[in-house]
Amino acid sequence: MSSETGFDPALYARFPTRAPRPDEEKEELAHIWCAPKGWDYLTAVNNSYIGLYYLGTAFLFFLLAGILALLMRVQLAAPLMEVLPQAVYNQVFTMHGTVMMFLFAVPAVEAAGVLLLPQMLAARDLPFPRLSAYAFWAYAVGGLCFFASIFVGLAPDGGWFMYPPLTSKAYSPGINTDFWLLGIGFIEISAIAGAIEIIVGVLRTRAPGMSLDRMPIFAWAMLVFAAMIVIAFPSVILATLLLEIERAFGWPFFDAGRGGDPLLWQHLFWFFGHPEVYIIFLPAAGMVSMIVATVARTELVGYRLIVLALLATGFISFGVWAHHMFATGLPPMTTGFFSAASMAVSIPAGIQVFAWIATLAVGKPRYSAPGLFVIGSILIFVTGGLTGVMVAMVPFDWQAHDSYFIVAHLHYVLIGGMVFPLFAAFYYWIPSISRRPLSDRLGRWVFGLMFAGMNIAFLPMHLSGLQGMPRRVSTYLPGQGLALPNLVSTVGAFLLAAGVLLFLVDLVRNFRFAPGGGTAGNVHDAGTLEWLPTELYSVRSIPVVASREPLWDDPALAARVEAGRYFLPRSATGLRETIVTSPLRAEPQYLQILPGPSPWPIAAAIFTAGFFLALTVQAYGFGLASGLFAVIAVLRWLWESDRRVAAERVDIGAGIEVPTYVTGSASHGWWAMVILLIVMGMIFVMGLFSLAFLWSNQPSYWAPPPAFRGAVPILLLDLAAAALAIGGRRLLLRGAAWPVVAFVLSTAALGGALWLDRGQWAAAGFAAEASGQGAAVFALLALQGAAVATGALMAGYCAARALRGLVTRPANTSIDLTMLFLAYAAIQGLVGALFTRAVGA
Amino acid sequence: MRAWAIMLSGLLIWAAHFFILYGIGEFIGDGFASRLAIAALTGVCLAICALLAAAVMRMPPRDFFGKWRMQLAFAGLGIGALAILWQGLPALLA
Repeated sequence: MSSETGFDPALYARFPTRAPRPDEEKEELAHIWCAPKGWDYLTAVNNSYIGLYYLGTAFLFFLLAGILALLMRVQLAAPLMEVLPQAVYNQVFTMHGTVMMFLFAVPAVEAAGVLLLPQMLAARDLPFPRLSAYAFWAYAVGGLCFFASIFVGLAPDGGWFMYPPLTSKAYSPGINTDFWLLGIGFIEISAIAGAIEIIVGVLRTRAPGMSLDRMPIFAWAMLVFAAMIVIAFPSVILATLLLEIERAFGWPFFDAGRGGDPLLWQHLFWFFGHPEVYIIFLPAAGMVSMIVATVARTELVGYRLIVLALLATGFISFGVWAHHMFATGLPPMTTGFFSAASMAVSIPAGIQVFAWIATLAVGKPRYSAPGLFVIGSILIFVTGGLTGVMVAMVPFDWQAHDSYFIVAHLHYVLIGGMVFPLFAAFYYWIPSISRRPLSDRLGRWVFGLMFAGMNIAFLPMHLSGLQGMPRRVSTYLPGQGLALPNLVSTVGAFLLAAGVLLFLVDLVRNFRFAPGGGTAGNVHDAGTLEWLPTELYSVRSIPVVASREPLWDDPALAARVEAGRYFLPRSATGLRETIVTSPLRAEPQYLQILPGPSPWPIAAAIFTAGFFLALTVQAYGFGLASGLFAVIAVLRWLWESDRRVAAERVDIGAGIEVPTYVTGSASHGWWAMVILLIVMGMIFVMGLFSLAFLWSNQPSYWAPPPAFRGAVPILLLDLAAAALAIGGRRLLLRGAAWPVVAFVLSTAALGGALWLDRGQWAAAGFAAEASGQGAAVFALLALQGAAVATGALMAGYCAARALRGLVTRPANTSIDLTMLFLAYAAIQGLVGALFTRAVGA
Repeated sequence: MRAWAIMLSGLLIWAAHFFILYGIGEFIGDGFASRLAIAALTGVCLAICALLAAAVMRMPPRDFFGKWRMQLAFAGLGIGALAILWQGLPALLA
């Protein structure tokens, strides 16, 4: 067998070990990973708690958005109903879409990842537990405040995609739109924090031997999901920033009368918005792939093809964003490209559907509640997929655009592709975290009500759409043939709600959270590792994985894991820890010390939410203070990290020793920083695209940019900043003060370059409020300013750590990460200076 | 990185092809020169897929995981090539 890291795979033969393990080891593990008490539940960071909080909150938002849907259905049950005034109806449908997409769907699947992945990969926890806690609390606090806006009539009312010019200051002067633009800011932060956690977790904390070809499909799906968030979310982050800046300061990004273009919003939004559908679907598809194999009692058919399909969906979904814009008058050739990609993306989805059907066909399926939900999911999703191929055809899309046909299509896709799989997952995985499984008998009723309700609610919408009923209208006239299909839809919606209500009854009756062990266990006779006996420290010992369904292939594995016969049967350092493995073959590389409970993530989250919400209500002073406290709280939580322990190498089982501290590209921190820089890079690239798009579409507003020769000193300063950052890391060998000095100089060079760049544009007569070009250029400069400020903060943080003797030699992670950030900022400044001068030169 | 680049090569080439096509459509526009450029680009991308597929086939798999990776890369190149051809057709046939 080959090796990826130099680790000798023959060492796996030492497991299972034979010598008995003392009981004190297990007691020590239980003590280190002890359950919280009282207020400590707020400071818990363990994935079992955070995952459940996350999932519970997401489900709460599902219920709230579902109530909004019922209100809409009551209003539309008959012509000219007056249950909701038109203005309130606008808020209700906007909040329904926004909450379902941003506060339920993405967080729910992210929550499932946080809850299930460590157990599925047999890790003690994900690598950044405090980041998970921060992501959850920012989402929960901010999300609840955001939702509360509907109770005071300030909820957004421009549709979940917030198209300008409707959402511009001229047509939406109130703060409703600002609630949306700033309100989802913390959700974006939360989603990206979760994505970083999941990518690094899946690639670096798998059990030894779990090479990529043995990885559970759900983990593959979560990996692609998280990578898609990293690429897609920056676009909506930039879009919301630009629209908020336009509304607050009058920079005309989307104002066609001043050289902006409202279509730019649509490009930026849908570059996120369409992949978002697959961001939601892929984890759910991963759940279905896991469940279908168990209910069919056979291996998943086409594992390799499903992995390929997940990857292909991840790529091709980024080529379909403009199919939401076919009716805007795109150039015919461009329309053709997007139509082709929209049809092509159905191929990988089809591969997965055929694999599920084949698995059910070759196995001996049990039609239990999870099995029924899986089959229902396939039927509904395929129906939605077929209408999706219909609307991928441009002439048909022109007819069906903005009609109830689209409402029917998207609900079939999202309910079949995400909601039914999630309910299947509830019935399937709850026995792994609860003392009692949910009732299969009630579950069948839940499925029946939801399946019938869903189809009765949404099938008639195809008809009402084809009859010409537009979306987002609060009522319709009698005598148009719309009354009957709408009444049937309303009955179906309440049937669907009855199914959800019955599920809540089942949950109340049977769900008993048991993070410390004593769960119902492997009631489905599944084969993957999350069904091993677990406690708060996850598994007692981390097994060597030799197949995709280890529990099927080795029925005695669970007993041996529980007896401590594999890796890390005890705490090697007396602290929370997990094994970091290599990304391809999962070979043990080092022992990561995991941070424990802390109040700082929740403090940082509350202040982050406070920052965004205060800006929304224009309490700028409070917002600034809140932002400052958020930064302080983050720095305080980081202060306790990146510390060496006394033992440089420890035995992680059977005499195999690994280091306890690793720096450079092998470390998990390095990986997280690289992913964060990809996020920043994507925001910047979308900013460059915005500039080029405005130049292409509004040439009459374009003025010649400053000359290229003016950029020479800027480039020299940026290059010097990069050299100082990279050189500073090397200077650590000479002393802890040297890299700090280099970083401070690097930041100064970056600031100087930015000052020169801004000065040249101002001297050339450009102003941010004057034209789309000026606005786009100054927005890019502002992004660079944010990077420089963050770099300065990081340099200051390193200086403080150096003063306290926390910068260890010869290598140190904090120094590594600051170097990476500053080098990136220098490249961004350099590219920005050249690109802005090149466009329209 | 090399391992990931090989595994994802077909899809990466598709992505590059798609975004260049979009750039041509958005920033240059329709016309004979654009269509010629698209034909050339599609041909080049297909050729790269073919060359990479041949290279992947020549790589000796050292174990089961190695073989799995090669098969994934090979299938990815196949699906990537098909998608590239499909993506180029609207401009080439219109």
